Amino acid sequence: MKRAVVAFAVVALAACAGVLGLRRSGPQAFPHRAHVLANVSCTKCHLGLERDDGAALHVPDDASCITAGCHAKPHDARPCLACHAAPEALAQLAGARDHLAFDHARHLPRTKGNCMRCHTGVAEGDDHLRPAMATCFKCHDHDAERDARRCEACHKNLEAGLERPATHIAHDGDWLHEHGVRAASSADLCQTCHAEKFCAGCHGVTAAALPATLHFSDPFTPSVHRAGFAARHSLEAKADPGACQQCHQPDRCATCHLAKGIAGSGRLSPHPPGWVGITAAESQHGREARRDPAACASCHGGAGEALCVTCHEVGGVGGSPHPPGFSSRQRMTDLPCRMCHPIGGRLQGSR
Amino acid sequence: MDRVLVIALRAHTADGLASAQLGRFVAVLGAIRPLQIDGAAGRIQLPHAFYAEAYAGVPVLAGLGTNRAWDWAAGARIARKLGDYGSLGIAMMEQRDAGRLATEEVGADAGFAFGKRDDLAARLAYDLANPAIADVEITARHAHDKALRFDLYAGYRAASHLLPATSLFTVLGDIPAERGGARATWKAAPRLEVSADAGVRRVDEDLAPALTARARLALDDTQRSALTCELRRDGASDDAWTGVRGAARLALPQALTASGELELVIPDRDRTAGGRYRGSVWPWGLAALGWDRGPWHAAIAVEAAASPETRKRIDALVSLGRTWSGP
Repeated sequence: MKRAVVAFAVVALAACAGVLGLRRSGPQAFPHRAHVLANVSCTKCHLGLERDDGAALHVPDDASCITAGCHAKPHDARPCLACHAAPEALAQLAGARDHLAFDHARHLPRTKGNCMRCHTGVAEGDDHLRPAMATCFKCHDHDAERDARRCEACHKNLEAGLERPATHIAHDGDWLHEHGVRAASSADLCQTCHAEKFCAGCHGVTAAALPATLHFSDPFTPSVHRAGFAARHSLEAKADPGACQQCHQPDRCATCHLAKGIAGSGRLSPHPPGWVGITAAESQHGREARRDPAACASCHGGAGEALCVTCHEVGGVGGSPHPPGFSSRQRMTDLPCRMCHPIGGRLQGSR
Repeated sequence: MDRVLVIALRAHTADGLASAQLGRFVAVLGAIRPLQIDGAAGRIQLPHAFYAEAYAGVPVLAGLGTNRAWDWAAGARIARKLGDYGSLGIAMMEQRDAGRLATEEVGADAGFAFGKRDDLAARLAYDLANPAIADVEITARHAHDKALRFDLYAGYRAASHLLPATSLFTVLGDIPAERGGARATWKAAPRLEVSADAGVRRVDEDLAPALTARARLALDDTQRSALTCELRRDGASDDAWTGVRGAARLALPQALTASGELELVIPDRDRTAGGRYRGSVWPWGLAALGWDRGPWHAAIAVEAAASPETRKRIDALVSLGRTWSGP
């Protein structure tokens, strides 16, 4: 039985190898490593690197392959790089040229023409040949610039490029939920790539709509309100009290519920029978209010919450609203203290 | 002006050690919650790897063209870098609505990187107006290799302390919500990424699992075409639910993109606590066609759903946008 399962898994994996990207069926990455092992120098194909101005791509054309005498008889009439280059490689190269201030001309003399001093990936394979930023720091000391978040000496227009770093703050995993705690200690680091509008797009109260709403045609746009959130939002709010108030003003719920007639002043009340009972055991609202006071505040905030103190006052039906050990630095003249405590009076409700 | 998201004038010294901005922006200070304000903010790097930042201004209110008199907020943070391995910071802010104390909070944040594979980040917010811990978040990460990553997370939140201190609900006392869990993300193949998240939530006496399993398969090396599938078990007590979501995006010629999304939510109970029937399955679906060329973006979609509020609902969505960029 075990052998059958293993055999099935192997066959299934082999059948799906193309789909999973384990075996490429389309154009292959250019075989850089094979050329290096054949003692072909980089500058033999990538012409003009010694005069690099930081703009040209220096991608070899067919003539480079043929006239160099290596591939005198091409096996195909199509351009060489149509098959012998990863489809995304050219776009990545162009992106790097647009957003990096770098020229090979100044580096080649220092490396004595040895490109592999920086392009170490050539020794391992044909993908990911662009050096990581850590490679630059082997020679360049940029501690002061890094501390001051001065990236523009090398990175041009990071905000527009939005290149995700490969070696630090990679934004992987559940970044949507994690970014807040990570940004707390390094907000300035975030700002090296993200413009102010990027934060305000979700955290600003004037934000017109969240990314998933604006980009509804892309199901991979990360958002906390993805898919049928409208149907399940009450369940999610109850499971994670206070989560909504992390971004929304407490009156956000009331605005929408009033419009749909689901709030207290509308046609339907959201409260079940037995919401307010004579004894604590019969009354659900107290426990629910302590679990998620923000949910109550979304409708009963501001002047509406005055209905609480019609019962919850010392000597009233509901008794003191304060829990054991309650203390506050608010003055008696401040809201909400003055709703129960006469101005200048004694703090009757606290213990 | 009340619909303006960000409009700010920024300036910084040539060496980048000090910067300031003036206008409307989101003020972020360590563990203190982000706040959109009309005001000014500044940041300066101090000797011995210390740096300080501060903001002051008028909080932006949703839906109001003008703010109330004597609405203001001010905050400051001082932090220190610990070499290349981390930082520590403390922050404080006060917000007044119509001159009355609305929020007074202190926060502490920390981030550490232990080598290339492990890091830890944490933040804590403490409510000074009604003294108690308002919010705590901790996450830790271990990157086993480029393909496999593990995360641990934990949080504690007292919901009432997220409300303005002028609200009566802040003096009623509350029951904090706690959560914790672990997550694994594995790039199983060049085009396939799978992740699993197992967590537990506790609210009052209710303990509830929060489970998610997700897979994403790219259909080409550029990842323009992709499929994803997600299973979820979430919710607490009588409001637990199970859900499945699938989505696909296909790149078409002429800069077109076709996409589809389907979600099914099955609540454990088909009735609310009040006994009102809300349906046994809540389906949601969307089919869209998008077009992106240079700065232009356009999309049309049809969205259909059934929810506790509506037995069936169909919407047509249209979007047309252009991006302008400057220096």
